[in-house]
Amino acid sequence: MNVSDHGVRPAVLDVKGLSAGWGPMRVIHDLDLTVFAGERIGLVGLNGHGKSTLFQAIAGLTGWQRGSIKLNGEEVGRTRSQGPGRYTHLIVRRGLAFIPQGDEIFHGLTVEEHLDSGAFTKRAWSERGIRKTKILLIFPPLEKLMKTAVGRLSGGERRMVSIGRGLMSDAELFLVDEPSLGLAPKIGKAVVEALMAVELGGSAMVIAEQNVALLEGSVDRIIGMHAGKLKGEASASRAMSAERER
Amino acid sequence: MTDSSAPIWIDPIDSQFPEKPGREAVTNSFLSHQVTWDETTRFTPKMYPVGRLRYYYKWPGHGGRLWSRLRYWPTRRRVLNIHGDYNLKTMRREKTIVDKRPIWWALALAALFTMPLFVPEGFRNTVMSAASVFAIYAAINLCWMLIVGTAGIFSLATYAVVGAAAYGATYLAIMLGLPWWVLPFAGTLIGLVFGVMIALPAMRLDGFYYALLTLGVVELCRVFVVQSRQLGSATGGLYGAPSYLPDGLSQSNRLLFSYYASVLLMIFALFIYRFIDGKRLGRLLRMAQEKKEGFAQACGVDFIRARIMVFLASSAALGFIGGFYAIHFGGASPNLFSFDTLLLSLAMLVIGGIGRAEGAVLGTLIVVFIDRVLIDLGPLRYVLIGTIMLSVALFLRGGLFGIKDQFRTWRDKKKSERRATRAEKGGEMLPEEATEMEDKDQVYFRRFDKMQRDFLKRLVSDAVIAEHQSRPLGQHSEALERLLIYFRRQGQIDKYAILVLEEFKAYRIVALSGHRGTAPRVVEDRNYETPDQAYHALFLRRVQDLLET
Amino acid sequence: MNWGFIITNAITLACIYGTLAIGISVTWSSLGLINMAYGFIFALSGYGAWLASVYIAPNPAVVMVAGILTGAAGGLIVCLLAFIPIHDKPNFQLRALIATLAISLVGNQILLWWFGPRAKSLPRLFGNWNADIFGIVVTSDKLGASLSAIVLLTMILLWMRSSRRGLEIRAMMMNPHAASIVGIGVRRTGIYVMALTGSLAGLASVLLAQTYYVAPFSGITPMIKGLSIALVGGLGSIPGAIIGAIMLGVNEALTSSLLGGQYVLITQFLLIIIVLLIRPRGISGILDKAREA
Repeated sequence: MNVSDHGVRPAVLDVKGLSAGWGPMRVIHDLDLTVFAGERIGLVGLNGHGKSTLFQAIAGLTGWQRGSIKLNGEEVGRTRSQGPGRYTHLIVRRGLAFIPQGDEIFHGLTVEEHLDSGAFTKRAWSERGIRKTKILLIFPPLEKLMKTAVGRLSGGERRMVSIGRGLMSDAELFLVDEPSLGLAPKIGKAVVEALMAVELGGSAMVIAEQNVALLEGSVDRIIGMHAGKLKGEASASRAMSAERER
Repeated sequence: MTDSSAPIWIDPIDSQFPEKPGREAVTNSFLSHQVTWDETTRFTPKMYPVGRLRYYYKWPGHGGRLWSRLRYWPTRRRVLNIHGDYNLKTMRREKTIVDKRPIWWALALAALFTMPLFVPEGFRNTVMSAASVFAIYAAINLCWMLIVGTAGIFSLATYAVVGAAAYGATYLAIMLGLPWWVLPFAGTLIGLVFGVMIALPAMRLDGFYYALLTLGVVELCRVFVVQSRQLGSATGGLYGAPSYLPDGLSQSNRLLFSYYASVLLMIFALFIYRFIDGKRLGRLLRMAQEKKEGFAQACGVDFIRARIMVFLASSAALGFIGGFYAIHFGGASPNLFSFDTLLLSLAMLVIGGIGRAEGAVLGTLIVVFIDRVLIDLGPLRYVLIGTIMLSVALFLRGGLFGIKDQFRTWRDKKKSERRATRAEKGGEMLPEEATEMEDKDQVYFRRFDKMQRDFLKRLVSDAVIAEHQSRPLGQHSEALERLLIYFRRQGQIDKYAILVLEEFKAYRIVALSGHRGTAPRVVEDRNYETPDQAYHALFLRRVQDLLET
Repeated sequence: MNWGFIITNAITLACIYGTLAIGISVTWSSLGLINMAYGFIFALSGYGAWLASVYIAPNPAVVMVAGILTGAAGGLIVCLLAFIPIHDKPNFQLRALIATLAISLVGNQILLWWFGPRAKSLPRLFGNWNADIFGIVVTSDKLGASLSAIVLLTMILLWMRSSRRGLEIRAMMMNPHAASIVGIGVRRTGIYVMALTGSLAGLASVLLAQTYYVAPFSGITPMIKGLSIALVGGLGSIPGAIIGAIMLGVNEALTSSLLGGQYVLITQFLLIIIVLLIRPRGISGILDKAREA
């Protein structure tokens, strides 16, 4: 194991023996995953192999789940069999930024209000002005749209708003689900590049993506997911060097 | 290890040299491999003694009579749905009543018909008049249930239709002097016209918007009736309709007669419910459930037309009931349009369960009983009704008659969750993986391997390691021998091996690549001086790997 | 024909009913709950204000604050009974509707049992004087009622526009699922919203009690009016509710002076039916084009 490589840095997310699913269906099978501070991880896998469900389980949005999920050493997952979403806001307040698949946005709010809505923790709220300028540096096209209702934006702009909303909070762990889904390849690439440009500091980011080519070379680790289990992992640098040798 | 009770193993090879004492080593006490088998194959989930199978009473014997069953005209339906079968286990013929609801209905109706016999003398008046009110309200609620449950139109104007028909019929009777038997039919006409009027907006509006609109209609009717001089604003209702009771009946007989007439009305409403809900229209609408209308439309179901048809049919039936109301009570009162009546009748529907005939009847029975029989409670009885309504809304999904379904759904959900969360029995392979695996032998091999490793993990002890350290090669105790055989049997890929750097001086542990031409990789950066040390280090590494899996 | 009288009447009524309608509309859109117990909260806060005026002091501020606080408490009761236990259960909307109806049934009967059927009257909050604005004579209670309703409504709307809690409530109105991902607690926001809308009912109750009385069943008609304004405006739309309130206020004032008070409901419902037949989703269907996008 490469625990020794990361021994110095603390684990932001520590998932042990997690099973989760919906009703009779079990999607995540006894899964272990550790994410260390400052890491950017790519989670790749085909459709329906549990990437999104893993994220939803971490956010407490699945039908039921068992196993331990530790966010910054605090237990946020528990054995739970009903009420999806009941504890999500508490988990989010402990430092999770979940950017879900598709656009979960508030149609009637303006872009600015939408970005504000990402900053519901006390500290983030007080310094939301600075953060908004930071977001605008990452996504410059949003500057002109600050007063527009989100419902009128195009798909790519919505995705930018959605990701910008996630980056507004002072989260320790960013879970980005399929950032390039449903976007034109060029825009999708731009969005992923913007995600790579985010300075992580003490936090960590997990990006689920079907398109491995988008992530290769820019993330620290790539983990495969198959049938609800993590299958193999490669540090991206190793993947790169293998490529170079070939 | 230092435990004095630990068994001692004597090297059996030394028995060939009886002149010397045999080599001895401390070892584990015997552990049967059966233990892990028993543990992994044991059924661990906690089971509850709640019903597993649906229980049907099996009636003995079925013969030719089962095949010449009574079918009632004009349908080809049987009175009771009886299923005949040959039981392969008991080698006997048996019958099962698949649907017992007709029996319950027959019992309930029989109870209703014989009820007057059992009413205590003191309460006779109260109970009998309450019972006729119950039957009339049940008839109204059945028609309402058709609109709300079957057609899915959330109309609150049901009592407005009844009231309009009752007022109209009474008015006509006073003006034209109509005989009593014309009034229900006049009411039917009025109800139909009224139904057409309020059905038109239903084609455009839905949900709460339509509910509000109908609430507005009720309020309009109430205000109109209360303020119109012609409709008896002064007398608190319009009275003067002829009664259907024959002259010269005693007080108790009048009550009895009107009770049976009302029960007949309720049975009429039940038939209408049955013939709309259970036949073509009802089935069409069952296909076009909420939020699936688009799908139904794509399948060629004109659900709007079906809804309007149901609405009009039940409005006509409500008009008939309104006419009956007029000849039963001798007129109509603005009370029919009040918010309280609406609230109480909504309580009736909700308590029984929306979408079922039996729900409408039972809910009406409960509410009318509390409202009309327990009069002594005063305003407290509304509190009681409200509490029942609140707890039904909070705890039950489909009213009292939905309890059975709700419990079954809950139980199934719990069962499947439990099944989904528990680990696969013993095996290592996930179901998804197993279906993809071509060599099914692998599935069983891995299951066996997992069990074997579980067993071997228990054999690892300080005594065994010390024994190996004292002499890595040669004969060993049973536990150590089992471990070593297992290690030896592993495949070549990533198998540990010893690389001789310099004979008798430097040895190193490597892992074989398992591929011809590819060099083994170095596992750790440490040299061992003697082969025994290297053997033991390699053994420890394998034990470590075994314990980690 | 006294046009000034009609206009002032219309404005006063529009203010009071608009308060109720906004309460109902906000509850619906942020919690998905049609609060049929709103009439009960209305009556309850009327009694709260009356108790305060009798036992504490007949001071306008005290009476008003007591009414608003009782309203908020009533909202909390409804929230705890009808929202928190079932908000994530299947078929929530219909069950919540029925639960609030049941609360209203029980609550009104308890009020009747506790305070008796006789109506109570509140002290005059705004004194007894007349103001002359551009030649129109306005009585003090009308002026006070409309001013205080407008001031409080503006305050609440501004608060909803600018503050963090307001943003939370508006976000829940748009997309409750995304709201929980952003970190908004559905139940906690439910409590805020119900307390807020309850206090709006309390305010409307105190203001309306200047012309009518406080009685156990006095809440039903205002609730039906507020509900119809909310629906005419389009559920969930505050500007729609305001326009609806003005429309129905004008209609009520016009009808009562031109045709007579007993025809108010008839013309009102005819108006509603016409609006809904043209626009099945209410006025907001005309106003808001981006909503369904």
